[in-house]
Amino acid sequence: MRTTAHRTAARAAALVTAAALALAACGGAGGAADSGGSGEPVTGGTLVYLDKGTFDTLYPPQAGFYPNGGLVNNVTDRLVHQNPATLELEPWLATDWEINEDATEYTFTIRDDVTFSDGAPLTAEVVAQNFDLYGLGDEDRALIVSEAVNNYASSEVVDDTHVTFHFDAPAPGFLQATATINSGILAPSTLEGAFEDFGPGNAVNVIGTGPFVITDEEIGTSVTLTAREDYDWAPASADHQGRAYVDEVQVQVTPEASVRVGALLSGQADLAREVPAQDEERVTGAGLDLFAPQTRGVNNSLSLRIGNDILADLRVRQALVAGVDRQAIVDTLFTDNYPLATSILSSEATGYIDTSEHYDYDPTRAEQLLDEAGWEVGPDGIRVKDGQVLTLTVNEALPQPRSFEVVTQISQQLREIGVDLQILRADAGTYAEAIQDADQVQIYHSMVGRADMDVIKSQFYSTNRNTLLNRDPQTDQITDPELEGLLEAVASEPEHEARIAASQAVQTYLAENAYVIPLFEEPQVFGAQPDIRGVAAESVGRPTFYGMWLDR
Amino acid sequence: MTADAQLRGDGAVPPPAPQQRAVDGARSPVRRVLSSRVARRLLQAVGVLLLAFTAAFLLLQAMPGDALLIRFENPELGLSPEQIAELREAYGADRPLVIQFFATLGAFLVGDFGYSVQSGTPVRMLVADALPQTAVLALVSFATAVLVAFGIALASTYRRLAWIGDLLRAVPSLFVAVPVFWLGIMLIQVFSFQLGWVAVINPGPVEGLVLPVLTIAVPISAPLAQILVRSIDEVSTSPFVAVVRAKGASWSWVLWRNVLRNAMLPALTMAGILFGELIGGAVVTETVFGRTGVGRITEQAVSNQDTPVLQAVVLLAALVFVVINLVVDLVYPLLDPRLRERAHG
Repeated sequence: MRTTAHRTAARAAALVTAAALALAACGGAGGAADSGGSGEPVTGGTLVYLDKGTFDTLYPPQAGFYPNGGLVNNVTDRLVHQNPATLELEPWLATDWEINEDATEYTFTIRDDVTFSDGAPLTAEVVAQNFDLYGLGDEDRALIVSEAVNNYASSEVVDDTHVTFHFDAPAPGFLQATATINSGILAPSTLEGAFEDFGPGNAVNVIGTGPFVITDEEIGTSVTLTAREDYDWAPASADHQGRAYVDEVQVQVTPEASVRVGALLSGQADLAREVPAQDEERVTGAGLDLFAPQTRGVNNSLSLRIGNDILADLRVRQALVAGVDRQAIVDTLFTDNYPLATSILSSEATGYIDTSEHYDYDPTRAEQLLDEAGWEVGPDGIRVKDGQVLTLTVNEALPQPRSFEVVTQISQQLREIGVDLQILRADAGTYAEAIQDADQVQIYHSMVGRADMDVIKSQFYSTNRNTLLNRDPQTDQITDPELEGLLEAVASEPEHEARIAASQAVQTYLAENAYVIPLFEEPQVFGAQPDIRGVAAESVGRPTFYGMWLDR
Repeated sequence: MTADAQLRGDGAVPPPAPQQRAVDGARSPVRRVLSSRVARRLLQAVGVLLLAFTAAFLLLQAMPGDALLIRFENPELGLSPEQIAELREAYGADRPLVIQFFATLGAFLVGDFGYSVQSGTPVRMLVADALPQTAVLALVSFATAVLVAFGIALASTYRRLAWIGDLLRAVPSLFVAVPVFWLGIMLIQVFSFQLGWVAVINPGPVEGLVLPVLTIAVPISAPLAQILVRSIDEVSTSPFVAVVRAKGASWSWVLWRNVLRNAMLPALTMAGILFGELIGGAVVTETVFGRTGVGRITEQAVSNQDTPVLQAVVLLAALVFVVINLVVDLVYPLLDPRLRERAHG
């Protein structure tokens, strides 16, 4: 109990501090400022990197959590490299690949000159073992299936350098899936482990082929990455070949945002992840750089749960969409690094189509729609229908930037059209249960970053994230089978153009039926000392230390 | 608390002989009393620990959701209901509660605390890693708090400083009112970011303790100082003090020999209770300063309802409370001879 009280007090204090800082730093900051190379890159030195949280596992399929991904991205390589600038898929550990017509068979040619940091050679056999685990999971070891790998059936080792993967159904997203951090290739010794062996306390035993090796770990505080001298298999499009420039990266956990930013400003750190929007001006004002890669997936958005009786009515959903002034939210709470969303997908995502015409702010229309739907304004300004009050609940999404402020502002906006929007802030257990019930949390705040068209299926499909609760978790009933069909097409259409069309069909369907309210395109904002060069991230914003160097 | 008893207990002004005799006389009974006391208290301690374990287990079960739900039904993993069901089975979460309870208890008895559901790290490793860090932080903070509390108490009751006495007496109220979280951030802002005296990122072992210790010590010292000040005030107005003074003892002699000794008892009780504050302070401080420690793993385990970790932390906290109370109980008779007499009377 004491602990809880302190937590609440700490939160309250954090809010006060955040509010004070927000007052001091209103307005937008400059755009992403990557420090391009000036002069010859220097080899050597230690880069101090501040992360918001401590990693909780290095099992690649769970590397979506940013502190995990920041390590996995630098310790492992992938079969295929997704160029963060162009999103093109390029050779990496695989020099070549062949895909059959209906995307149910993938054959990769594996490099024969790559070794793991424990000396084991990379072979087709090892690659097969990796994907057998990521594609099928192993419940007995509590190792889950990778969200990025769909319809996986089996692997077949052709010879030392060739491996074929078979799928039950077309899996057009698989090639990109092999490029994500969720498919980081691990050494045989690491693959034998159970979930426990990937956790804090065992980080030094997680072995990959990447440019860095975890050499030291203090549980919950820091991780030391050391450059591999013999690393010589960077993707061809990388800015250099050979070993990484810096000798070491010290990853330091600094949960408190003001400490993270303060440490960066006072020169105690070189690079920090998650500079809050309200602190951006302080960082640029002090002459430091901001680097804000986009996450290129499903935008930061609200999912309206269609299984709920109130939201089953299209007019109510349309009223909510028209009643939210998204521009005001972006303007008051965020900076230029957080562009207004124009579709459920990021404008930097493959398959994106502009559907912003459906998301116009029009409170008059919103009120009209609610009147039509039979919701009459009650004595306290909140609408009522057949004795039921128009009260809805939205979750505070802790991982999302300023989620509480965002939903608070939305709550104020919806109050204007007579909708009472409550905010769910609860302990993890209550929260986890409530968000799975369309009658407890009718509006779900979330986002997901992944640079493949499959991402939209991940977010909305009944057996994936299911954010609309299109499948009722209690009854397993599907509210809207048509949406299910559209999503399946995105994940199984083998032909690229047809897949884009399928993705656009989903985006349009979601907009026309007012299933979602996209808010903004979510970036990962890093702050960097001006003498850190080559600051870069993979395609969804996890830092890539390989090309960074210290110009000092 | 009669003046008589105090006079008898503390001995009056010299000669010191009677007091010496009293201590000699008390030694062997004290030892006897101590051993039976220790045995009784140890038995109680085991009971308390078992109760704490059971209560923690039941409460964690009664809470909505569980660690597996939070870990694996997180929509961000995108697992299907079948996969989640298989995971629950693999973790043995589908067994009846009674079986789970005895399985956990049995494992704890042989020193197997299980694995964190959230990260898979062995709980024993987590605790072993965090405990020394928090122990050092807590002990140094506590020592500092005691020093500060005594400093404030003595200064505010010292007669030559009477002119600022009221001001000094207001200091503990101020300290109590300062939120630990805010204090930590302010100390960092001023001493690390502005003045650059100590680093918060990668500090040396001693350097890394300075600000966290101050952060915890300030709020802990406050109630201690308040109680000391009040007891000193109370004891100084006791008739026996007047008697001792009348016999010619100087104020400082009375303060050190008589007043403080009597004023210590409530402070000692309070110190035992304040240990709880130390744990609470460690949670916030370790998070603000990004230190490893029991507070930090508690905070993380609470937010993820990580049952095995919480179970171990509760037991650990109960153990430390039991030990501290035992020590406080055993120290009482050394400070207050009346308790010795009652024990063998």
